[in-house]
Amino acid sequence: MKHGWMAGVLLFTSLVTTASSDQSLDSAVLPSIARAPDKVRDKKNPYEGQADAVAAGEKLFRQHCAECHGDDARGRGRAADLRSPGVQNATPGQLVWFLRGGNLARGMPSWSGLPEQRRWQIVSYLKTLH
Amino acid sequence: MLFSRHCLSPFTAVAAICAVTTCVAAPRARAQETPYFVAYSHHLEEPGNLEVEVYSNYGTQKGGNDFIAPWLELEYGMTGWWTTEFYLDSQTTFNESTVFTGFRWENRFRPLTQEHWINPVLYIEYENTNGADKTLKEIVGFDNQFDQAVPNSEAVREHDHEIEMKLILSSDYKGWNFSENFITEKNLSNDPWEFGYALGASRPFRLAATSTPCNFCAENFFLGAEMYGGLGTTNQLTLHGTSHYLAPIVAWQLPRGVNVTLSPGFGLNQNSHTLILRWGVSYEFSGIGRRRKPQ
Repeated sequence: MKHGWMAGVLLFTSLVTTASSDQSLDSAVLPSIARAPDKVRDKKNPYEGQADAVAAGEKLFRQHCAECHGDDARGRGRAADLRSPGVQNATPGQLVWFLRGGNLARGMPSWSGLPEQRRWQIVSYLKTLH
Repeated sequence: MLFSRHCLSPFTAVAAICAVTTCVAAPRARAQETPYFVAYSHHLEEPGNLEVEVYSNYGTQKGGNDFIAPWLELEYGMTGWWTTEFYLDSQTTFNESTVFTGFRWENRFRPLTQEHWINPVLYIEYENTNGADKTLKEIVGFDNQFDQAVPNSEAVREHDHEIEMKLILSSDYKGWNFSENFITEKNLSNDPWEFGYALGASRPFRLAATSTPCNFCAENFFLGAEMYGGLGTTNQLTLHGTSHYLAPIVAWQLPRGVNVTLSPGFGLNQNSHTLILRWGVSYEFSGIGRRRKPQ
């Protein structure tokens, strides 16, 4: 009985810890990215683990993103630091969703004109920028 | 005839020199362009980017001389939801003369800041042109090919002050862009409102990018088509007596910010020019007028 009570406390503690760590992960993601709907949040990157996709993503980053975020992706002016936890803690699904819609009010363009494949390639590259 | 001495008008030469000079001096960028000449999509210019575009069209003319009408566009992204654009128009009519035909100033606004299945953009333009303008950037009302048959010496005497508005609806789906434009134009005199439409669809040859820099790979080429024409006026909303065109498009977007676009447009009825061949080169500069934090 005593062991059962201790197991209950442990289970409860681990559930609370897991929940709070999820919450801290959420709060660390930039608010505009964290707005991504649940259905896209856990989308898997179809190019995950593919070195070619990372190289293609880097090429696309230089063509489309570096002019605002800088060649080193550390951000300039209002453009976010893409190496920051606020971006790196986001899931690939959240990032690809954010790239599609942008944040027009704050100067981040919508990149829906880029095919989805290229947006995933950019995300592949961004995820290497720890 | 197309490549005769008339092909490079003084206007085109000055525009080309300006474009080349600026290319050397400013940082470049590459945007997500849709390759249309007449239709607009919901993709606006990126904030702080300036796109310099030199376009032209060659038109065949029944009952008159063929013509080439070059124009210069300066397109600037004011914010993420507002793009402004300034045009200078000209034309050369073979065996007649080369004339400056006026200017246009347009603004496009995205009222919804999120991406949707269909994305609206509001467009408003002021035009101050003369009757010799042959850029044919839109076809409205009962515009027809015989409007361009009037000799330059006579046509330049007509002055047009017009307001043009468009509702642009545009969607991206699986690499395709589909755009529908509803156009209304009003001469600021007692003329009635004129209506027109433009439809466009385009797609890159290859959706995913290759891992190495390349100029001639399929990802840099776009194929598309647009269709446009008039829909009459408030006095007579009809297709009868209007002109319509169908124009395939091919575009080449070089990685260094240069876009080259070509589009042969074919007239679909007796009121249309048989052929309007359009071509253009554009170059995009980034960070124009944008404040930056010290590094």
